[in-house]
Amino acid sequence: MYTIELDKARKAYGDFVAVNDLSFSIEKGSVFGLLGPNGAGKTSTIRMMIGITAPDSGQIRTFGEPFNRKHLHRVGYLPEERGLYKKMRVLDHLIFLGELHGLSAAMARQKAIEWCTKLEITEKLQSKVEELSKGMQQKIQFIAAVMHDPEFVIMDEPFFGLDPVNATLLKDVLLELKKQGKTILFSTHRMDQVEKLCDAICLINRGTAVLQGVLKTIKGQHGKNTVQIEYEGDGVFLENNPLVGSFNNYGNYVEVRLAPGADAQQLLRTVMERSRVNRFELMEPSLEEIFIEVVGKDNA
Amino acid sequence: MHNVFLIARREYRERVRTKAFMIITLLVPLALAGFIFVVGFIVNLTSHGTKHLIVVASSQRTAETIRAHLARGLDRQNRQITEGRQQPLKQAADRPSELNVDSDVNTSPEERRSLTQKVRDKQLDGVVWATDEALASAKIPFITRDASSFIQNAKIEESVGQALHREALRSKGLSDQEIDIAMKRVELDPQDVNGNGVANPQVTFIITVVMVFLLYMSLIMYGVNVMRAVLEEKMSRIMEVMLSVAQAKEMMAGKILGVGAVGLTQFAIWIAAAAVLTGLPIAAAAGLKGAISIKAMVAFPVFYLLGYTLYSTLFAAMGAMVNSEQEAQPMQIIVMLPLVLTSSLMFAVMESPNSPLALWASMFPLTSPVVMFMRIALQTPQWWQIALSVGVCIATIYGMILLCGRIYRVGILMYGKKPTLPEIMKWIRYA
Repeated sequence: MYTIELDKARKAYGDFVAVNDLSFSIEKGSVFGLLGPNGAGKTSTIRMMIGITAPDSGQIRTFGEPFNRKHLHRVGYLPEERGLYKKMRVLDHLIFLGELHGLSAAMARQKAIEWCTKLEITEKLQSKVEELSKGMQQKIQFIAAVMHDPEFVIMDEPFFGLDPVNATLLKDVLLELKKQGKTILFSTHRMDQVEKLCDAICLINRGTAVLQGVLKTIKGQHGKNTVQIEYEGDGVFLENNPLVGSFNNYGNYVEVRLAPGADAQQLLRTVMERSRVNRFELMEPSLEEIFIEVVGKDNA
Repeated sequence: MHNVFLIARREYRERVRTKAFMIITLLVPLALAGFIFVVGFIVNLTSHGTKHLIVVASSQRTAETIRAHLARGLDRQNRQITEGRQQPLKQAADRPSELNVDSDVNTSPEERRSLTQKVRDKQLDGVVWATDEALASAKIPFITRDASSFIQNAKIEESVGQALHREALRSKGLSDQEIDIAMKRVELDPQDVNGNGVANPQVTFIITVVMVFLLYMSLIMYGVNVMRAVLEEKMSRIMEVMLSVAQAKEMMAGKILGVGAVGLTQFAIWIAAAAVLTGLPIAAAAGLKGAISIKAMVAFPVFYLLGYTLYSTLFAAMGAMVNSEQEAQPMQIIVMLPLVLTSSLMFAVMESPNSPLALWASMFPLTSPVVMFMRIALQTPQWWQIALSVGVCIATIYGMILLCGRIYRVGILMYGKKPTLPEIMKWIRYA
């Protein structure tokens, strides 16, 4: 059973093809990551899913049926570009958005208060939106996306601009929603933030899917050919080293993808010759690594 | 439909709660009340207070004739107001005689000095010094504390003049009855082609100017409000949240209805206040009683709604096209241009509400709401003209909603640079 299915969905704006025959399906109750760099077509894809725009060609099915606006009451959407009516009071605002999502006024009020309690902002219920900090406004927007108890929650860059405390709070709430059997779609370019949360992913670049499937399978396919090294000294050993396929220097440590057939032990020996090694770990590649690899190949 | 209602209701509630709305809504009735009371007060002061005048003439006969004319002259003034309003002014009848005129034949300089002193001491309000000398020089001194009250002066001048005519005719041997016939005043009674009397042409004219101005201002004000609201939603990105539950056309319709309802509320309050205020006795004294005709009161909201819907649709599309207030400024002038044109036509239409210019301007949809209202308020155009004007306007509104709806739908999601005309044409063609 799929919550949403895209079948060769295509959207072009003039000559620019934002989404190019994209197909993927999201299983009910799963957490799905729609990943890709800025401008890859993530937001355009989401807009088609919720009927803001219609695909030029291809098909979109929601809850097992062809897309229909009446499905939207079962969907919650936190857009990347966020805004609220600045002059409105928080409670009025949430009631208004709840009513638009099909709740009765009384129900919307109850849900608004429940969620504000959960996210620890009850004292702001009577404040005007413009008096709230940015993080608080973001919480309000999050509540607006989930207060009507949607089966399918779409979060476009949900952690953007949140401090670590609130990011954790939000993550916990999302995991709770997952436990309740909701389907969650994350759209982000910060792959490190969601790779721990997602069951399946679709990596897109320039409107086309470059990699998709169950996360574990994907990581498995890319093998344990990544090494994280913490070292002291210069990183010259990385340059022109036949053992190193590619590398990514994070400052405190470096992530190295081994060249095909290269032996990790041999690399360790080379590094030790040149510098002092504090940590040397053979691990699964991060999504970002995989992405760079795939897109790099794609571009070549 | 439910979404449209929710969006309109939010827009309405948030707007009527603002201070700006309350201030503007209260300011107009207050200004009207102020106007009525000031005018009423002045009228009361100048013509309805009991005044004591003394007519000094060389002969008792002359003094008496002038005295009689002064007293009668003011009577007629009251009668005119009463008849003009087509309902007797009760208060006027209740009021004690407004002018207390005595005559005096002592023309010595000492008497003049003592009377002047009495005027200064407020024992007297005025002295008409109509001695034979003064009559011969055709300049009659009128000693009064408020020498600049030209209405009062004109009345006295007229009365004294009439008295002198009467004297002259009498000296030719005419009887008082013959003189009355000879000096009978005629009045003009303007009527429209349907035989309806015009209440008071000057007042109707002024009220019409005020109402047309209000209509014109509200079209601009509420139209620009719609544009600002759309722009604000676009800039604050609330649009993105809204679009996940409501369609662009629902948002546009809700916005236009909500802001329009705010305007109607404002007018309802203004009209109610005007009805109450102009019904007050003091308004009658100011000559404003019943000055707003029923047809104008009915036509006003109708033509406001037509004009507002048309212009706010255009303004909504404008708001969707631009990205900031700065960008909006030059664009809104384009939409306002036909309204500005209307205002420049205003006086030509008022002068001759049935001219071909007025007829065409009341048919052309961008000028018709204001111009047709003006024609209706001034006189009643033929019914087919009203029907045609309303029909053309509604058809245009329908077309504009289709066209602007498309611009709006695409525009609200376009951030960044201001679109060019070819780009907007492309938006319109998007399925």
